[in-house]
Amino acid sequence: MNRRFFLKSGSIALASVGMSLSAPSFLERIVLANQTKAGKRKTLIAIFQRGAVDGLSMVVPFGESSYYSARPSIAIPKPAQGNADAAIDLDGFFGLHPSMSWFKPLWDSKRLAIVHASGSPDNTRSHFDAQDYMESATPGVKSTSDGWLNRYLQSKEDPERSLFRAVSFTKTMPRVLQGRAPAIAISSLSDFAIRGGTLSADLQGGFEAIYARENDALAGMGRETFEAVNYLKKVNPAQYQPENGAQYPRNPFGNSLLQIAQLIKAGVGLEVAFTDIGGWDTHVNQGNARGQLGNLLQQFSAGIAALYQDLGQRMDDVIVLTMSEFGRTVRENGNRGTDHGHANAMVVMGNSVRGGKVYGQWPGLKSDQLYEGRDLALTTDFRDVFGEIATRHLGSSDTQSVFPGYLLNHSRFKNFLS
Amino acid sequence: MKKFVAVILALAISTAQSFAAGDKRPKSKALTEDQRIIHVLNRLGFGPRPGDIERVKAMGVENYINQQLNPGKIADTVAENKIRDLSVLNMTTAELYEKYPQPGQLLRQLQARGMLPADLAEARENRVKGGANSAPAEMPKNDAMPAPSPQNPPPGNPLENEKYRKVLQEYYRENGLQQPQRIIGELQASRILRAVYSERQLQEVLVDFWTNHFNVFAGKGADRWLLPAYDRDTIRPYAMSKFSTLLQATAQSPAMLFYLDNFQSVSPDANRGGRLQMLRPQAQQQRRGINENYARELMELHTLGVDGGYTQKDVQEVARCFTGWTIFQPRGGGAAVNAMMGEAGRRNPGTFFFNARVHDDGEKIVLGHKIPSGGGIKDGLMVLDILAHHPSTAKFIATKLVRHFVSDNPPPALVDRVAAAFTKSDGDIRETLKAIFFSNEFNSTEAYRAKIKRPFELVISAIRTLGADTNGGPGTHQWIARMGEPLYGFQTPNGYSDAAESWVNTGGLLERMNFGLALAGNRIPGTKVNLSKNGNQATVMNEYLKTMLAGEISAATKETMLKQLEPSDPVTKVVGLILGTPEFQRQ
Repeated sequence: MNRRFFLKSGSIALASVGMSLSAPSFLERIVLANQTKAGKRKTLIAIFQRGAVDGLSMVVPFGESSYYSARPSIAIPKPAQGNADAAIDLDGFFGLHPSMSWFKPLWDSKRLAIVHASGSPDNTRSHFDAQDYMESATPGVKSTSDGWLNRYLQSKEDPERSLFRAVSFTKTMPRVLQGRAPAIAISSLSDFAIRGGTLSADLQGGFEAIYARENDALAGMGRETFEAVNYLKKVNPAQYQPENGAQYPRNPFGNSLLQIAQLIKAGVGLEVAFTDIGGWDTHVNQGNARGQLGNLLQQFSAGIAALYQDLGQRMDDVIVLTMSEFGRTVRENGNRGTDHGHANAMVVMGNSVRGGKVYGQWPGLKSDQLYEGRDLALTTDFRDVFGEIATRHLGSSDTQSVFPGYLLNHSRFKNFLS
Repeated sequence: MKKFVAVILALAISTAQSFAAGDKRPKSKALTEDQRIIHVLNRLGFGPRPGDIERVKAMGVENYINQQLNPGKIADTVAENKIRDLSVLNMTTAELYEKYPQPGQLLRQLQARGMLPADLAEARENRVKGGANSAPAEMPKNDAMPAPSPQNPPPGNPLENEKYRKVLQEYYRENGLQQPQRIIGELQASRILRAVYSERQLQEVLVDFWTNHFNVFAGKGADRWLLPAYDRDTIRPYAMSKFSTLLQATAQSPAMLFYLDNFQSVSPDANRGGRLQMLRPQAQQQRRGINENYARELMELHTLGVDGGYTQKDVQEVARCFTGWTIFQPRGGGAAVNAMMGEAGRRNPGTFFFNARVHDDGEKIVLGHKIPSGGGIKDGLMVLDILAHHPSTAKFIATKLVRHFVSDNPPPALVDRVAAAFTKSDGDIRETLKAIFFSNEFNSTEAYRAKIKRPFELVISAIRTLGADTNGGPGTHQWIARMGEPLYGFQTPNGYSDAAESWVNTGGLLERMNFGLALAGNRIPGTKVNLSKNGNQATVMNEYLKTMLAGEISAATKETMLKQLEPSDPVTKVVGLILGTPEFQRQ
């Protein structure tokens, strides 16, 4: 038996482990799906601002005088003609941070909505717990083993069985996508290959054969890896050109968004994409219009705006959702920063979004309106935001298993989707 | 009260032990002698080098374990020679500030003293002007650390950047200065070299464990300058001491005080002004207030665990206790410029000090314990004592140690026994480890090769098994980072995960295979393997399977692998494939 023959039988072995011999290959399934439905798959792009962004600087309640008295040195000024450091007026009460001007056109064309005073009902102020709760979507319960996006994938069968159904552009698999349903974590599409010089193809064949023969979880992961590697070769990520003049910021966050757009356009069956951006834990010298937070918000909004532009009409079927584990204290601390708080603001974008509106009940910032006397109170549970997207955008019908222990009630939805 | 707890726990151990002994349905088999040796070399160390198994066999595995538990008695000249040229390891923080100044800070200080050379001033000016919309931070971005966070500002004019970098480099060279990113580069190298070459393997495993447990991120502000002292003076000396000693060392370490912001946590009621204020840089004088960050992580991540029974009120009270635990001149206080002007050595920038003036001296209640007013620095010490001796801490530390050394799913009975050993020995880490290493659970087939190596462990074990030679340089750092575990590069205080789910994903697995290929193919700069090929493919393969996996690989895989090999294939292919097998990912 020569090697070439073995390679073939190796891939048969592979097929027999995961699926029946007659099943179409991943590639065939995708081609079939693209022919019949022509990219009608709905996609959610979830972006996590790790470290707890200060929602009160991101979406500024400039109509609140308490906001200014609580923050003598870091408040964002009220909108004012000709003041580039002032908030960008949205609705006469809320304004965007001046570094986020990229979002203004999306707001004006009613494709961007904000859900303010939203977040986790749990009062933890630990980053890890709060991120854990937001990703597991079971606030207060640490024992949940999988993330809510993974449970969504589990709850709904994917007829295309796409290997790229769920992709996280992170070094490790984030909590939100951990679980039984397959998902991929990568930092760069072009590195997603066996790199062995002239022997690459040969070595890949060797690994494929080895991983095809074993039965544990690690080997299963290996088999999935190679299916994905082989498909991606056909997509040829190195040749990508963004459309509509979109310019992604040249940093890891911008790169992640660019590659998400690439996968969406490649029609590989991407349904859930995830990435994150860190550095929001501004305990010290947060800055106001300019400074630490302003720089980050600039990159954050410029990246997402580029993605929007690049995807163009495809945004009919895509929703971008941003989240952060909790808000920050209403009062600035002794270091011109803010400490861990409670409720925060989430951003929802897409052509199907009823944008141009700040959703949610505003609880106010006067001392007696604050949560535990210090933080923005919560009026929207983040599960109601996730739930609205899961049901109305992704078409989930089994919300019980996606949000265990929480009875989703459509009357609590904010209706940012129709 | 403490005694009472100890009695209860002692009872708990004896029942647990008798239960284990009386269990008529043993679920797992004991390991063979050879397996036990391999297991010990994998878990108490970073895997066997050629000849290690025979060596341990000759001395007896229990003797080996006991020897490893007393690292001070093990001669270690090879490793010591390997790290001899890494100069940052022996430098005080003050010396690091003198010799590895941050360029932006240095230039500002030179300017303030009218000492900034004209060419440097001009290059900096042009560079800032050349930036499109925002001037990048003044530190060149060719950092040895893999970009820790996705927030590099858009670059300015590349030409001006390059010019500035050149002039700056020249200035550094002329004045005997080094770029600060080299500090972490050398520190990483020392960790790799010691893990590869040290005979004190368990010590290195524990340094890795505690460095993660008490994680500090090199990318946070001054921590880059503070980490060599953290490794040398805080983690290493106490890796096998009493937990309370280690805890206090971390609490008073400038690295942790900076990382979790405690160095600037001050009582809002503290008396302003005064003599001490004069010693503080202007910028710091304005920063006043309580910061809860350390207090929270101290309980959640260092001691009690998140469900350990503390409240938000406890966090606030603990934060009050630690007000005034700070760092003298945390950012170096212009040490480099002072040294260049011959004014060095008056003070010790970057060292711990207790600033009584900004301490909240009122009474506090922590976990039900009253901490009387007027305690000064004793407040924090009392908190550490309460936490180190809390039953939740014993349980939390035992769980983490068992997860690290035994299984991703720590057997509850073992955790209870290990927690009891911790409590009984007053938190003696060595005694706690013994309870693990001599347990049935540790020496069981269920634990054998059941843990997935983390990237650092994979790299070290691969280098060791091949008897390769390495300088521990950037080539190795980059691979560890690419697989997801840059040393000192974990941003949040919980440290890297010790469970397989975090490491086994398609991207990570692919990089593991690629790492094996790069190592076997001698494509990692600074690391050299010398592979030999004697005999036909089958002989070569069997020889390497024996060295690298003790021959423990399924017949099917072996057969598969052999079929992949042709007579003309280089030995690098054989070794590269073995390094990438599922079996080699396990320990």
